[in-house]
Amino acid sequence: MEAQQLTTLTGVIDKKMNRQLKQYMDICARCAICKDACHQYVGTGDFTYLPARRAELIRQIYKKYFDKAGRFVPALYEARDPDENLLDELYESTYACTGCRRCMYYCPFSIDTAWILSVAKAILIAAGRGNEMLGQLADAAIFKGDNAAMFEGVMLSGFEDISEEVRAITGNPEHQVHVNKEGADILYVALAGAHSIRPAAVIFEEAGESWTISMFEAANYGYFYGDAEKARLITKRYIDEAKRLGVKEIVVPECGHAYRVAEIFYEAWSGEPMPFKVSHILEKVDEYIKAGRITVDRDKIDGTVTYHDPCQIGRNGGVFDAPRDIVRAVTSRFVELTPNREQQWCCGGGGGIVAMEEFKDVRLKSGGKKVEQLKASGASVLACPCENCRLQIEELNEVHGLGLEVWQVIDLVVAAMPFKATPEADAATM
Amino acid sequence: MSDDVKVDLELDLKGLLCPLPMVKVSQNITNVPVGGVIRAVATDPGAMADIPAWAQSTGNEVLSAEKEGAEFVFLVKRLK
Ligand code: SF4
Ligand code: SF4
Repeated sequence: MEAQQLTTLTGVIDKKMNRQLKQYMDICARCAICKDACHQYVGTGDFTYLPARRAELIRQIYKKYFDKAGRFVPALYEARDPDENLLDELYESTYACTGCRRCMYYCPFSIDTAWILSVAKAILIAAGRGNEMLGQLADAAIFKGDNAAMFEGVMLSGFEDISEEVRAITGNPEHQVHVNKEGADILYVALAGAHSIRPAAVIFEEAGESWTISMFEAANYGYFYGDAEKARLITKRYIDEAKRLGVKEIVVPECGHAYRVAEIFYEAWSGEPMPFKVSHILEKVDEYIKAGRITVDRDKIDGTVTYHDPCQIGRNGGVFDAPRDIVRAVTSRFVELTPNREQQWCCGGGGGIVAMEEFKDVRLKSGGKKVEQLKASGASVLACPCENCRLQIEELNEVHGLGLEVWQVIDLVVAAMPFKATPEADAATM
Repeated sequence: MSDDVKVDLELDLKGLLCPLPMVKVSQNITNVPVGGVIRAVATDPGAMADIPAWAQSTGNEVLSAEKEGAEFVFLVKRLK
């Protein structure tokens, strides 16, 4: 490795390593408790995916350049240069990690391996080895933000089509997807797909909510890619929009990382406190049901229903009860997966891994625990409020022939709502 | 427009939710030669913004993006 590149990479480590991360470098007891917590290690038995091993690669570079003992006797302290071999290993173990932080939950020292791997991503990007697909997805989102006028026409026509579908479902000719509504209480930042907008619009309109839709999507591939500046720019698109429209609250959709990005990371990336209250859409829906602002009929959903806690919403976001209360409101046949809540197994689809074809094999193997849990539950319907989890579980469903119906939670709610509408409306809700 | 262009690869992206249509186009772009064209058919309206944004930011070209009934049809040319 050239001296210049070495200086760049060690500079990245120096800049990223704060006190907490340095402490993580020192305190790992190599007890390997984390190995049984990681769905990827459990599913593959491959050392590359053992959480402590992933972190060890960063620790080895750190020891070589920032630790006195490692600097002077590198062999004794397993200190290593970030050479091509190490970077190859680092790429594989870092971009495969779904950031579920189940390893941290079980680690006796609460070592946050996913956080350590954010340093690894910064190193890989500086070495020109960032994941290409995630980088492209991030750049496309930034391009959309910088050239919003270019996309306005197609977005507005898409929203109009969805408004028609909403009216067909609710039977109310007044209902619509509100766009650019200044002074609305809520800015709903959906995903790019209509499936994330249509049921939310039905619920907001039926609840009489004052809301408007964002022209941008909540997904943030800059975060998965590991570039804090790109991630900040992607989030800033809708924060600026919320400021311009003068809303009071930002509501994020059924997406795991979008909630954590807005609620937790934006402040760290921008140095500016998040200027709006941030809610997950399921927190709002739960409120509407409990306040009687929308009505749901229990047991319109056939079958036994279970719920998967997406890691970024549950373990890492702290939202456990609102989704369960919603599911219990629409069915009396609710069963938990075991384990659940903080201990829930990662499905294997997080961290942007579903967009990275090269990790397909490890991704499918790593879903083994989720498959076991789903089978053991006896459920025929799964409610799951994260797009990446649903993509993964739908694929597991197919591969393992589970015969499961995988639903967004808001789709279950809409299916349970009584409308004055017509047979077409019933068809449109499906 | 689509009648005049030689298509090198057809992609059926119907039923895929965004951003997967864009991901699939990106994954397949190197399966056509430089100057070659992918014809992609998606059903998620979000692709109408996603695929052109991906093309612009990666230096490729969307020759056309058209709504045909419930489908969105793209002709994407590989430029590099
Ligand atoms: S559980 Fe914690 S202390 Fe034990 S090996 Fe894993 S990271 Fe290290
Ligand atoms: S965050 Fe999840 S995927 Fe990553 S190492 Fe820990 S348990 Fe494994």
